[in-house]
Amino acid sequence: MKEKGKRFADCVRRSSWKVRLSAVVMGGGQFLYGRYFKGLLYFLTEIMILTYFILRGGADIAGFFTLGTVKGDAWLGTKGDNSVIMMLMGIFAWIVIGVWIILYIANLKDVWRSQRLEEAGRPQPKFREELSQLLDRKFYVTVLALPVIGVCVFNILPIVFMILIAFTNYGGTVVPPELVDWVGFSNFSKLVTLSQFAPTFFRILGWNLLWAAASTALNYFAGLGLALLLNKDCVKGKAFWRAFPILAYAIPGFITLVAFKFMFSYGGPINQIITSSGGTAIGFLGLDAKWTARLIGLLVNCWISVPSIMLLATGYLSNRDMSLYEAARIDGASPFQQFRKLTLPFMLFSTMPVLLGQFIGNFNNFGIFYFLRGGLYVDGYFLASDTDLLINWLYNLSIDNNYYCIGAAISLVIFLITSVLSLSVYVKSPSYREEDTYQ
Amino acid sequence: MKKFRFGKILDTGLTYCILIAVAFIFFFPCLWLILASFSASGSIYSFDGFFPSSFSFATFEKLFTDTALYNYPKWFFNTLYIAAGSCVLSTFLTILTAYTMSRFTFRMRKPMMKITMVLGMFPSFMSMTAVYLLMTQFGLINQRWGLILIYAAGAPMGYLTQKGFFDTIPGAIDEAAKIDGATNLQIFTKINLPLSKPIIVYTALTSFTWPWSDFILPKLLLKERDFYTVAVGLMSLGETEFARFAAGSVFIAVPIVLLYFFLVKDMVNGMAAGAVKG
Repeated sequence: MKEKGKRFADCVRRSSWKVRLSAVVMGGGQFLYGRYFKGLLYFLTEIMILTYFILRGGADIAGFFTLGTVKGDAWLGTKGDNSVIMMLMGIFAWIVIGVWIILYIANLKDVWRSQRLEEAGRPQPKFREELSQLLDRKFYVTVLALPVIGVCVFNILPIVFMILIAFTNYGGTVVPPELVDWVGFSNFSKLVTLSQFAPTFFRILGWNLLWAAASTALNYFAGLGLALLLNKDCVKGKAFWRAFPILAYAIPGFITLVAFKFMFSYGGPINQIITSSGGTAIGFLGLDAKWTARLIGLLVNCWISVPSIMLLATGYLSNRDMSLYEAARIDGASPFQQFRKLTLPFMLFSTMPVLLGQFIGNFNNFGIFYFLRGGLYVDGYFLASDTDLLINWLYNLSIDNNYYCIGAAISLVIFLITSVLSLSVYVKSPSYREEDTYQ
Repeated sequence: MKKFRFGKILDTGLTYCILIAVAFIFFFPCLWLILASFSASGSIYSFDGFFPSSFSFATFEKLFTDTALYNYPKWFFNTLYIAAGSCVLSTFLTILTAYTMSRFTFRMRKPMMKITMVLGMFPSFMSMTAVYLLMTQFGLINQRWGLILIYAAGAPMGYLTQKGFFDTIPGAIDEAAKIDGATNLQIFTKINLPLSKPIIVYTALTSFTWPWSDFILPKLLLKERDFYTVAVGLMSLGETEFARFAAGSVFIAVPIVLLYFFLVKDMVNGMAAGAVKG
């Protein structure tokens, strides 16, 4: 860092007036060094960005802080400020400022290079050469430009927007044309203290953690077991047996889930069999079916997820070092010992990232209970049912019922939990601590 | 010795018993759905236990001819359009992103990898409301390619598996080509692209099936019946229309299942190679 500062000071001291011109007017220095195209490009970008800020960007930045001052009034015919759009455009203006700073620094570096080239008596680079560099040395710039823009607009911008929403009072009755305000951390304190949200929040959180742990463990061991079973020497026609799980894997998830919902519904085939043999119909997924519904969710999730884990595990199992097993057999190890001491550590080691992904995926498994029991609100829960996970609650609150700010606060809680958990598990995992054990 | 062989037979028998049970568990719901789609009556209440009492092609006919309320052919082509469009765009972007992340060392590489990892931990539709607002600003509600845009824009975030695959292609070939004067563009198109068929298949398949079976995003952005995708449309059917649901499901599941069976080898190779280093 110190080195860098020293170099920077050196640049400032030794820079010619042409370089200093570029610091004031982007591209000016390049122009004077005879690199007309590049200078012009920098100059035009600066003009464009400045025009944007004069026309609307400045107001957008201001709007970002105030979130609107004029309330719309239909009676008086005043067109008020739309706080939400103001915030969105405000974030956009911040992104433009960020891009500007990056370009500005690139501009200074570029012109500084020009000065040094001149001092060394070497020719300035031609614009055509620089362009062709974009397909060679700077290929990555060309390639990554599009994905980075896409991710910025459709991922980063919305996520930043929702993070900020968590600190406002947007939602409920406070939606445009009402004005939205910054409220600090009050949404989070509401979540854990207010009698409206707190009991639901903690109940759902508890179930969510239990669900994530149970379903991940179940899916993982069932998938691994199936892969080991199919890997046995005595099994003939492996492709045939493998076809059934792949069939399940290939069917779109929502079809499977709705089909299972029909299967367990009151008029569904299982209840028909029960009634025709003299019993009374059971509401497997009904209002008061807390634990049966949870159990069915766990099993259905298993049906959906096991095949993919099986496929993955099959791939890994073929990478095993079989001489270890040979040695173990000669030493008299039983198949179970071989599994415990050789297979399991190896699999845990190599699939740790997958396992983590599975855990986070299950923690945020929206589909299962949305399709199996969607739209059910149970007593004792605020706009949720006893099988809902945090992500379902988030959906109910923010998309079905307009509680945007509380929804955003819950998203941040989910983010915090998943990131802390996965980070701590990852740091403790063997694949992180002893990276070369199996290489 | 005899005891040993007896144990082996027992072991084999047990293995096959479990396999048959597993096959049954996975196959039975599919069979149920397929048979239900051929039921003559249409409602789940007239079934005799699990299976319909009489069979006909009537439901499939109805699916494509009775389009006044539920325009299945239209939904089908909407889905095909969105899935195909986002498949092409996503694959292109993801493969290129993964390739550059694997082969180039530049200053922003590590920060970008960290940022994508952090972004991936946010719950997926936390930002739905914001995306919806953004799409209204761009005027892309009820536009099929608005959805394609969102799917394709998000796709490069899942580049890790593909990067893992490119990491396994030795860099020595690149070096040799570079000495012969090839540009990085040429190295990619002439050397690495032909080697990466499995991972391209894997990427294309996953980025095709995701929009093909996604429900939340189309439901949020496609409000008019005529723009529905199959997933949204099928979910709007009532419980009395079970046979129609089954027929519609079977019809969109069949192409995907066939694709998977044909490409499963490439997929497993791509997945395993990518994940080892991922």
